[in-house]
Amino acid sequence: MSGTANIMPPASLITDAEMELRAEVRAFLAEQRAGGRRVWAVDSWLSSWDEDFSRELAARGWVGMTVPVEYGGRGRTFKERFAVVEELLAVGAPVAAHWIADRQIAPSLLKFGTEEQKRAYLPRIAAGESYWGIGMSEPNSGSDLASVRTRADRVDGGWTITGSKVWTSGAHRAHAFIVLARSAPLDTDARHAGLSQFIVELAQDGVEVRPIVSMNGDQHFNEVFLDGVFVPDSRVFGEIGRGWQQVTSELGFERSGPERVLSTFPLLTEIVQNVAEGRLDLDADLGRLVARVTGLHQMSMAVSGALQRGESADVSAAVVKVMGTTTEGDVADYADLLLGDGSDVTSELTRLTTRAVDQRPGFTLRGGTSEVLRGVIARGMGLR
Amino acid sequence: MNEDFLTPDADLLEMLDGVFSSYREAHAPLAGRLTLDREFWAELDELGLVRLTGAEDKGGSGASWVEGRALVEAAVRHGVRVPAAENDLLAGWVRDAIGIDGVDAVSNAVSTVAIVDGNGVAKNVPWAGEADTIVVVWLVDEGYLAAEVPAARVRLTPGENMLGEPRDTIAVELDSIIGSPVAAETVAELRRRSALVRAVQVSAALECSLDLALEYVPVRVQFGRPIAKLQAVQNLLADIATETSLARSSTDSAFTKALVEGWSAEGLDFLVAVARSCAGHAASVVVRNAHQVFGAVGTTREHRLHEYTRAALAWRGEYGAVRSWDLQVSAAARNAGPGGLWALIAR
Ligand SMILES: Cc1cc2nc3c(=O)[nH]c(=O)nc-3n(C[C@H](O)[C@H](O)[C@H](O)COP(=O)(O)OP(=O)(O)OC[C@H]3O[C@@H](n4cnc5c(N)ncnc54)[C@H](O)[C@@H]3O)c2cc1C
Repeated sequence: MSGTANIMPPASLITDAEMELRAEVRAFLAEQRAGGRRVWAVDSWLSSWDEDFSRELAARGWVGMTVPVEYGGRGRTFKERFAVVEELLAVGAPVAAHWIADRQIAPSLLKFGTEEQKRAYLPRIAAGESYWGIGMSEPNSGSDLASVRTRADRVDGGWTITGSKVWTSGAHRAHAFIVLARSAPLDTDARHAGLSQFIVELAQDGVEVRPIVSMNGDQHFNEVFLDGVFVPDSRVFGEIGRGWQQVTSELGFERSGPERVLSTFPLLTEIVQNVAEGRLDLDADLGRLVARVTGLHQMSMAVSGALQRGESADVSAAVVKVMGTTTEGDVADYADLLLGDGSDVTSELTRLTTRAVDQRPGFTLRGGTSEVLRGVIARGMGLR
Repeated sequence: MNEDFLTPDADLLEMLDGVFSSYREAHAPLAGRLTLDREFWAELDELGLVRLTGAEDKGGSGASWVEGRALVEAAVRHGVRVPAAENDLLAGWVRDAIGIDGVDAVSNAVSTVAIVDGNGVAKNVPWAGEADTIVVVWLVDEGYLAAEVPAARVRLTPGENMLGEPRDTIAVELDSIIGSPVAAETVAELRRRSALVRAVQVSAALECSLDLALEYVPVRVQFGRPIAKLQAVQNLLADIATETSLARSSTDSAFTKALVEGWSAEGLDFLVAVARSCAGHAASVVVRNAHQVFGAVGTTREHRLHEYTRAALAWRGEYGAVRSWDLQVSAAARNAGPGGLWALIAR
């Protein structure tokens, strides 16, 4: 009878086996940090690209973890992957290179890919060597993704794709992306029909990647122009006409992870460090934030438990994403309110804060905006 | 790990709902200071609910805290105020844990518990004025002592929380009673249990606010359509659901940890503080948004909404203000040492 009793799966504690795995990852990360050659950052899963690090993680079995062994993966459980990923995010490890491939491309390939596609791509993804982008948004299609105008036209032996994708994170370094395109004319009564997905390699003829510079001068996303790009039938992803269902499933993988809570966790750690050193006063607002992040960790554990059991978690994942992305942004703002020209904080705190404040607007946009996700929650409660 | 034991028995849930709903139908809540309806208490006793979690050889029903929690939640849901948690989960537990014999009273005696200061004084003792006995815990040089004292031997200054639940100040002549020694850890456990009971009640009240709002918005029509269809209203509800989920998850996590690893589990203090902080702040959003959704009618005595919203506000500050729990979390974070913050959260 209770509304939320249905939204949130029951609490899920960390098992001893998961704790051992976490300890292994922590030991590895501590060693890496002592070595000091990497950058530890906020929002590292979007912007800290380090291919050597990706390969090192893969060598330890921490990329493509849930991919079956026969496709070069490790055949581990969803919850084990969750544990590893949380540990990596908590320190701000440079995981951007393999992030999208590991998070959503591998599970989507397993769900919708052909046998040949799985054999062609999964082993290299699991080796931390194959990097992917997300080809959903377009200049005129953001939240309203079903309105994409990129066109797929049937030709002999395949399709040609024409149009442009935008905000494509990492496309300037990635190898491939999955493009959502309209393969049949728009039927205004069935807008979700006639969409399909295609695997496009970014080095292909007709693909042009143009950088988009972010407000702080960095570059992490791009505009990608597709000018009659030929996609053979063997690179159609899933079924023609089923693009909407597939992309919804892909978004499920994209939305439900702990990166929607932990983008600023390295900053939170540094704030606490400054408090411990007596550079900042201890106040109640800090406790409120730490408590919320802890609660969000517990909620994402519960969601991952549900996904592990094969239950649908669209609504609970939306709940975590709305609150998680708000809270990780609140951490940035909390820090920013403490800093001023009179403060005596570590330079690391200043560096992380500046970065967090710049990245923050994206937190509640990417992967579906908070407004759109509130709609998902409302629908889940039967209001739409 | 098999966590089936964390789900309460379905028959018990049904029985609880039946008992509290029929009582509620016959007894509209009163304003002012609440008294305990002894007839209803006797009925609860006959059903084995008064000492639900007590050991069977001590006259209890031998149920676990999972069932105890279900009882507390059912009372919240039906807006029935009884000292069930204080009597069973707190006073009853501590009496059995210490091994003091109950005052020879009838089996359905009402007890509460108080940690008094060196002068024998404690403020805001729940239901003290309605209790037959009070389990009193105090600190002396050698450690903690406890004794169960007949309420008649306690000087009482009445007080109430905003719901009218008795929250009395008591004064005990410590010189005149003989205490049994209590381990400091038992007292620490009592504090954890007390704090978490209120988190359970707050979470339940927030969930009930959400449920009420979800029933209301499809039937309230303005501008020719149900307000459920207005995006602004949907957003209010989405945020209620989100905050309520946080309260529930954090409370559940502390509770589950306690039941799986014991009430002295390492890190439980932190999880209890987290639950109290999360549930406390969740109440701010839920109470505000739920009242917004209901419009003027939600502010009336006649409407049931206040039974949940005022309850959440009353309970979130008991056994420690929300801010004090925030500060406890801050201190735990600071004391976790460099790099220890994450290890504090994920363990
Ligand atoms: C850092 C970052 C990385 C990204 N990476 C990628 C990527 O790799 N690949 C990719 O395809 N896309 C990517 N995106 C794009 C992202 O998915 C879109 O930004 C997002 O879907 C919103 O679309 P939009 O920016 O066009 O905003 P719009 O959809 O135009 O929205 C503008 C405003 O209107 C609100 N709004 C829109 N519709 C509704 C509605 N129905 N109800 C209520 N409010 C509404 C929005 O919430 C928002 O506040 C990225 C974005 C960011 C910020």
